[in-house]
Amino acid sequence: MANSATARALPPISPLKTRLRKSFFPTPLSGAISLAGMAFAAWALWHLFQWAAWNAVFIGTAEDCRAASGACWAVIADRWRLMFFGLYPHEEHWRSALGCLILILVIILSCLPVFWRPLRLAVLWVCSLAVFILLMRGGVFGLSYVGEERWGGLTLSIFIFCATALIGMPLSIALALLRRSSLPLVSVVTGMVIDSVRSLPLVTILFAVAVVLPILAPGSSGTKIMRVIAGMALFFAAYQSEILRSGIQSLPVGQDEAAKSLGLGYWHRMTRIILPQAFRRALPPTVSQFAISFKEVSLVIIIGVFDFLASGNAAYGSGEWAFTYVEVYVFMAFVNFIFIFSLSRYGAYLERRMRVGK
Amino acid sequence: MPAAVTISQLNKYYGIYHALRDVSLTVQQGEKVVICGPSGSGKSTLIRCINRLEEHHSGTIDVLGHVLDDNMSRIQEVRREVGMVFQNFNLFPHMTILENCVLSPMLVRGTARKEAEEQAMHFLTRVRIPEQANKFPGELSGGQQQRVAIARALCMRPKVMLFDEPTSALDPEMISEVLDVMVSLAQEGMTMICVTHEMGFARQVADKVVFMDQGAIVESGAPTEFFNNPQNERTRAFLSQILAH
Repeated sequence: MANSATARALPPISPLKTRLRKSFFPTPLSGAISLAGMAFAAWALWHLFQWAAWNAVFIGTAEDCRAASGACWAVIADRWRLMFFGLYPHEEHWRSALGCLILILVIILSCLPVFWRPLRLAVLWVCSLAVFILLMRGGVFGLSYVGEERWGGLTLSIFIFCATALIGMPLSIALALLRRSSLPLVSVVTGMVIDSVRSLPLVTILFAVAVVLPILAPGSSGTKIMRVIAGMALFFAAYQSEILRSGIQSLPVGQDEAAKSLGLGYWHRMTRIILPQAFRRALPPTVSQFAISFKEVSLVIIIGVFDFLASGNAAYGSGEWAFTYVEVYVFMAFVNFIFIFSLSRYGAYLERRMRVGK
Repeated sequence: MPAAVTISQLNKYYGIYHALRDVSLTVQQGEKVVICGPSGSGKSTLIRCINRLEEHHSGTIDVLGHVLDDNMSRIQEVRREVGMVFQNFNLFPHMTILENCVLSPMLVRGTARKEAEEQAMHFLTRVRIPEQANKFPGELSGGQQQRVAIARALCMRPKVMLFDEPTSALDPEMISEVLDVMVSLAQEGMTMICVTHEMGFARQVADKVVFMDQGAIVESGAPTEFFNNPQNERTRAFLSQILAH
């Protein structure tokens, strides 16, 4: 009984043929466009396949590549260590690889709801960053010392990104709340800080922290990587704070009033009522901001930090592989795509998950 | 016994708009006061001043012995003792019904979770929706949400309850389920100040009905007197409009 009732409640499913016709050939013109589009896609895919796989050289020398008409993936096989680890000493590459894996693992762990407690996240990240820095820098436990100026490649890019987000996120919350302060002095000054940072290109900020700061305050401004991270975090926070503020402004004023009427103080209202809801509402632009920041790491190249992009340039830059720049950039684009696409899928998962509690 | 709420010579402005004009009102402990009046008459503003959601500019408000001013800790004292129910429910949509109810007792009163949950279930049972405890506000009807809002306020064990047009945002068929809860609360002796247009409710439970217009109290009195023999012309006009439909 129950089964037949459910079956009757389902909408009728049209046969596949009908659905295909509806989607691709509803009118003669649409049909023609569909056919043309499919023909173009087939042509493009066929050429891509020939270039990227059929005629490609996966392992071999630069000479083998020159002889072949397809892609030269041999450059990746030959130079991947340079791209991933930069100028880190060759025999110590396992440390850089392990450090990179630790960061990726911790990023994945932070994405799991189990770790969504401020304390847990803080402990997780402080511990793993400490391990990362010890491992990379060495000088203890029999590990040889490797200065930060020799860190590089994908490991360094991911490290800069993680550190930027970790410092930038709390800073953005602070800026968003300060800008909403009822004290005019506080809100105006915060607004001016945010607007000044936003009015500067990131390149300028990086240049300032890398070159100008050491001149103004010699000896007391940390290593270059630390200054770069501070500059990027400030830039991230300026944008993210406005994203968060838009989330906060979009909440009905009744939420704060209800919390006040229950006797909740400012911090409890912010941390339990306002910010959790503001983050939900600001989720799509927050995901974009993370994606943008991930890619912006490559700007550090202009102040001589040897990140993934710089390492990639170096990978094809030496005479013998000079003709393989397309392959190297395709590969770097692919690695970036994996990170950004995972991020956007994760964002979509979060949105689905949070819709429940709307 | 001292009065629960004593308001005297209260004035409030929005910019140059004079929202409350020399309002004085005393509410005894256990007393039920219904405030009515046309929209824009200042009735919501008045009860929002009682837990300092609005600041007043002159006059005094004494709530349970605390005189309200800018002192934040005194304001917190008052808010702990005064529950409020809003027109738009204002449940926290990212928390379950139970979490909505235990949040404040745990954070503000320091109640242990187990005890807070038992207390929450007690009040959810009293408003007759214990079975919804683990749902989210968005999954409930308006009437159910408003009953949760009442339970949530009661979980703080308030001495005074403020109701700001609690049935105005409800579909007609849900009004009575909320009013029933309010009536039973009144019968248990809660001190209540209600802004509402539900004159049936006023007749049934109010000790005093206050009519406001243009930011001032025009007339107040016991419900029988107020409804059967209104003194002021504006009161008569208002009552004839509101009782006509």
